[in-house]
Amino acid sequence: MIKIFDGAMGTMFQQLGLLQPGTCPEMLCLTNPDEVTGVHQRYVDAGANIIETFTFGASALKLEHYGLQDKVEEINTAAVRAAKAVKTADGQPIKVAGGMGPSGRFVKPLGDLDFEEAYRNYFQQAGALEAAGADYILIETFIDIQEMRAALLAAKDATSLPVICQLSYSEDGRTVTGTDPQTAAITLDAMGADIIGINCSLGPEQLVPIVKAISENTAKPISVQPNAGMPQLIDGKTVFPMSPADFGTWAPKLVQAGATYVGGCCGTTPEHIAAIKSALQGVEPPKFAPLRRRLMLTSRSKTVTVDKELPTVLIGERINPTGRKKLAAEIKDGSFASVKREALDQVKAGARLLDVNMGVGGIDQAAAMKRAVTEIAQLTDAPLAIDTSDAAALEAGLRAYPGRALINSVSAEVERLEKFIPLAKKYGAAILCLPLTDEGIPKTAPERLAVMDKIISTAKAAGLKDGDFLLDGLVMTVAADADACNHTLETLRLYREKYGYPATMGLSNISFGLPNRPLINSTFFTMCLAAGLDAPIMNPYDESMQNALMASMALLGKDPNGRDFSRNEKNLAVPKKAAVAKHVELTPLEALKAAVIEGEADEIGTLVENAVNAGLEPNEITEKALTAAMNEIGVDFGAGRVFLPQVLLSAEAMRSAFIKLKEKFPAASESTKGTVVLATVKGDVHDLGKNIVGALLENSGFNLIDLGKDVPAEDIVAAARDNKAAIVGLCALMTTTMTEIDEVIRQLKEQNITAKVMVGGAALTPEYAEEAGADYYASDGVVALNIANEIIESK
Amino acid sequence: MPIYNSPVFAIASDETKRYAGLQKADFNQQLIDEACLEAQLLIQPKGIWHIYDYEADRQLLHASDTSSLVLQGDSIGRHLRDCCKVIVMAATVGEAIEDQVTKCFEEGRYSFSVLLDAAATTAVEQVADAMEKTIQNEVKRQGFAMKWRFSPGYGDWPIQQQPDILRLARGADIGISLTESLMLMPRKSITAVIGLYYPAVNPDCRLPGTASGTDRPFEKKHNCRLCDKLDCPARRE
Repeated sequence: MIKIFDGAMGTMFQQLGLLQPGTCPEMLCLTNPDEVTGVHQRYVDAGANIIETFTFGASALKLEHYGLQDKVEEINTAAVRAAKAVKTADGQPIKVAGGMGPSGRFVKPLGDLDFEEAYRNYFQQAGALEAAGADYILIETFIDIQEMRAALLAAKDATSLPVICQLSYSEDGRTVTGTDPQTAAITLDAMGADIIGINCSLGPEQLVPIVKAISENTAKPISVQPNAGMPQLIDGKTVFPMSPADFGTWAPKLVQAGATYVGGCCGTTPEHIAAIKSALQGVEPPKFAPLRRRLMLTSRSKTVTVDKELPTVLIGERINPTGRKKLAAEIKDGSFASVKREALDQVKAGARLLDVNMGVGGIDQAAAMKRAVTEIAQLTDAPLAIDTSDAAALEAGLRAYPGRALINSVSAEVERLEKFIPLAKKYGAAILCLPLTDEGIPKTAPERLAVMDKIISTAKAAGLKDGDFLLDGLVMTVAADADACNHTLETLRLYREKYGYPATMGLSNISFGLPNRPLINSTFFTMCLAAGLDAPIMNPYDESMQNALMASMALLGKDPNGRDFSRNEKNLAVPKKAAVAKHVELTPLEALKAAVIEGEADEIGTLVENAVNAGLEPNEITEKALTAAMNEIGVDFGAGRVFLPQVLLSAEAMRSAFIKLKEKFPAASESTKGTVVLATVKGDVHDLGKNIVGALLENSGFNLIDLGKDVPAEDIVAAARDNKAAIVGLCALMTTTMTEIDEVIRQLKEQNITAKVMVGGAALTPEYAEEAGADYYASDGVVALNIANEIIESK
Repeated sequence: MPIYNSPVFAIASDETKRYAGLQKADFNQQLIDEACLEAQLLIQPKGIWHIYDYEADRQLLHASDTSSLVLQGDSIGRHLRDCCKVIVMAATVGEAIEDQVTKCFEEGRYSFSVLLDAAATTAVEQVADAMEKTIQNEVKRQGFAMKWRFSPGYGDWPIQQQPDILRLARGADIGISLTESLMLMPRKSITAVIGLYYPAVNPDCRLPGTASGTDRPFEKKHNCRLCDKLDCPARRE
């Protein structure tokens, strides 16, 4: 049965001249209740079955802008009353949806609004709407899934009403904060939204594919309230241009895509609603094939499906301090640097879900879990598994996570069943089921299946459904039990036969106590993949496991005909040439020069050694290989054939070469070319450019005195004098600081210091340099090096 | 609206390459990717914005809580010619990445340091782009179109107005300050204004929002062709 919503309210009040700029629109419910009822009445007369209260901005966080935060109950009560006062044709009371709009702020860490503050905000408003007699809670126009989660949780906790969740999408088909309709549908369905939908931002045409994406991912009813097209400015006013007739023609298409609640948002009027009504006369919602519920996990912006028919999903196990002292100590100290690095590195290595375990003794696990989940969610879109035995830490993690997480794990232990399953239900999480009881670990496959039956039936009784389960095959040590592997394989088969749910496990237990564990592990892995393992929890950096996975995918038909396998470089017959080989034909000096030019710092040590062993003197090595190389690079740079980072790689190679030479010839004299005093002038804190100049000079044989950044003129002058500098290099990046260059030069002259002055930096020009009295202007580091060489040679 | 700290799931390696002056170079991609990843771990993205009324003929930005501000110079005036509102924004990726750039250089990893610096620049631009997208969603439903970001120091807009712009953006709320010489701290920060205007309506337009419509995508990027720094290594061709 198709239901029809109403259209825009604000537009109507504007037309009636009731909205004054700078005043709170929702106050009309108190000051002009009859006019509010009047607008509702027009929508009812046009054919709306459900009308929305005029309470979009009637939450405390919004009312605060007008100093009206104490009027939440009053306004929401009056608004419901004004809606209920309409008369219907059949005399039955109209259905009223209590509307709640976004706070206008983003929830942390995207913004500065605390999740709990958002929750309290909507808890209060939803409670007021229900108390006044609303029939639904309608959360609408949200663009942040996390704020939506807060509002949905609050509405569920505060009321017993059905909750409609409507997000707004941009033209790229995502909410502004990146959530796509599939991800939204899965996340909100699992959390218990009763109707899932869309409103505002786009016209009906753009919303058809979004409705379709939602309907492919949830069996819940879908609501849609488009704008009357995209806004335009006509005669100085913002206008939504789509006519009621045009708007009406889209209604059957929206229904065809899966919507059963249709209404309008910005720019729609009772005429638009009447057009929908007439266009939907006699239209029946399409019959969709029943949805097969698969295990789908989400982050804010991505859905990952784990299913027997899809390629194996790797769950990265590395964010776990168990047995890793350094990581544990870091977490204890409140540093999450390694946790973040593990997250990114595992995703890069192919993990598609990340397990997060904060099991460190002596810390507040709930706080640590909340922080870990929050930080990781800002860094990667891989959905998370919250791995803990602590119910408080689990809830903290689930609450903070802007998606549908996996709970690792729920066993048949009484405490887990009682505490974890309700949390899974409340936060819409899936559960990893572990066949383990208070009595211990069942040994055989049928025993494990029996335990699994208990977990699944308990969870289903609590409201979980197909698609909420990931079953653990349980791995014991083959060194202790000869049949450990057989039990696991049999368990996987039984799971698949009875439930068809995807299966998981940690694998490495199998080889405990045996030599050559990688071989046992990877062999076991391939057996399990064949028996029905869909989502191993493993170390994604483990190459033998990755190889086993890659080969298994080809063998099991999940990489059809081994197409990906054939493309992978690892499997190609010709190995890459060893890097060092190319210098074999060259003389030691040529090889060294080539390595500097190519910036191969790693090889330099060996090549310098070769040169020394060939009886070459340090100054010969420096001049004929190193300096010659830098000169060549300088020329290439000037010609635009190489670029700065490449020059710097060569400088790094030079640096390695000089270090090696000093090591070989400690007595050999230090740099002899001359002394350069280098500084970024006072007031200026940019120093990367200056550092580049310094690095090039230092690694070309100059004695460098780098005074750093923000250096007062007096200090530069003193350093030049005391060190008998041949060159003073000055750097300024900004127009506001470059005048300081004039000052330094003035003081140098005043003190009769004869060092040549070379200047550079983004804001400087050759003209400015000349006016300031500088001897040279260097546009970049390589030019600076060339100038320095010239200065020394001309002496 | 106000504070939006966009997540950064990946720092664009092609942009990093461009900012490192490697547009035309065949350079070790692995090193660039490593720098992007390292930067991603170190950045602390933050952004904030506020919207103000603007009088184009007087170049006057109306700030209700403080004094109003005349935006100085012809270039900003021209840029905001058709605008009736202005968004003043600030974004940063924090101090930690800057410290790491310095540290890498001191350790002799010159090239990596430069790449990391370029990745940080890319990141702060991405954060600002994400903010723009959010802002666009907000203003579009009011019928506005957006000009591209324009910052103090562009053209003849004097950098001396940086303190006012930072104040109007309320940059201090996300930890941005200014040195005496008007440099933003942390260094990888930006301030900018975005003009809002009503796009002219094309009467032949069949439906707004479609390809033939007037609803052109906003001009997002700083336009290199309009910049007089011809030798900029990051200049787009």
